[in-house]
Amino acid sequence: MAKSLAETAKKFLLLGQCVPSVKQNAAKIRVKKLELDENLLMYFRKDEYYYCHDPEKICQTGDIVLIQALPQKLTKLITHEVKEVVYPFGDITDPITGKKVAKERYREDMDRQAELFGKLQSTFDYNKAPPRGWQEGKKDFSSKPTYTKFHIFDDNDPYAI
Amino acid sequence: MLRHFISTLIQTRGIKHTVNIKWVRPPYVPSYKPEKSGDLEGLPPVPETTLGRYHALSDEIKDASESVKKIFSVAYLGKKEHHILFKQELVNRVKRHKYDETTAETKIASITGSIRCLQEMMEKFPRNVKMKQVVQELIDKRKKLLKFLRQYDYKKFEWLLEQLNIEYKSHPETYHKLSRKESLRKLTEMYCEDIRNKKLAEYKNLLESQQGPFLKQKLENLKFIRSEQMDLKLPITVSEQVIKTVEKQLEEWVIKDKIKEDAKKKRKNIILDLD
Repeated sequence: MAKSLAETAKKFLLLGQCVPSVKQNAAKIRVKKLELDENLLMYFRKDEYYYCHDPEKICQTGDIVLIQALPQKLTKLITHEVKEVVYPFGDITDPITGKKVAKERYREDMDRQAELFGKLQSTFDYNKAPPRGWQEGKKDFSSKPTYTKFHIFDDNDPYAI
Repeated sequence: MLRHFISTLIQTRGIKHTVNIKWVRPPYVPSYKPEKSGDLEGLPPVPETTLGRYHALSDEIKDASESVKKIFSVAYLGKKEHHILFKQELVNRVKRHKYDETTAETKIASITGSIRCLQEMMEKFPRNVKMKQVVQELIDKRKKLLKFLRQYDYKKFEWLLEQLNIEYKSHPETYHKLSRKESLRKLTEMYCEDIRNKKLAEYKNLLESQQGPFLKQKLENLKFIRSEQMDLKLPITVSEQVIKTVEKQLEEWVIKDKIKEDAKKKRKNIILDLD
């Protein structure tokens, strides 16, 4: 009984967010859980971190993804695999209308407003923009955790602050 | 007092150094400096002879004499007017329309302009504490705006970094004062990891070098067994496929070995050339 329960529990999908990590061949996923404090009878947030197998690199830092336990552990650390990306980070679609959103406004509306005021050449064009990740490691250093600089090495690490 | 005296007499710090690690403390860099704030570019090129912001709009100045133009140029109107032009230059790179002042990209651009102007002033007057504070606040504000923009519009965030030439680095887990002990611990850990990797690589090399002779032996033995079984008319247990796979493995190993030897020779030649 207990064995079958554990097996079914393994098949559960977990929803988590991809966080910056140094590990190269796996994604680090943070799953938020609530834990009951029996003395206070209140729930408190408790994060759990899973290293997930992701050979095709479908998830990038910040994405909300679904993960599932692997039938067998790949390594000591890697226990889960990334099933699919549910919400890509910084590229939000309104679930009701299916239109793209930036903050609280539709991108269409913002474009329309710019056209009414007289659109300039310097405006950012979503259609011409390359997919996310073209500045990674060049000007955008957010895919790996940064740390306090502790030594002077020969080659300068941009992630050391 | 007494403790200080004892510590100078008996140097306890340098005793346990069995591992040869030299730690160099990173020098202090003030936070207003461009390498800390992430500005990869200085001020945009706006010469001092350009007219002021509002003076350039008037019709009279178009056919005015050189001396009048000189008086209404930025060099005579003051630094403040010059800085406004710098800011405008940056804002013009990302503006959506003529009246755009409140969107995130224009806000970030104008803050960037102020930061760069103040950074230049800080180089001249590094003891101006009030200004230092203002720059720091502006840098933090810009970082916050960039962080939010990254959350709701990643494509625009990347485009903005490219347009304004800014580097974005996320916050570290903790901001703490650097200590000698922590740094030495990290360095020792790295040293140990290095030794471990070196040993593992050496062992892997050794095992790979033994693979070739073993495969040759295996191939001979398999062929011998097959021929014996054929001669004695026994049921054949070694199929030709097995022999073929072993041959393939041997071929692959030979190619790998050649590449390795070539690399070794090259390294040797480089060392000889250096000598």
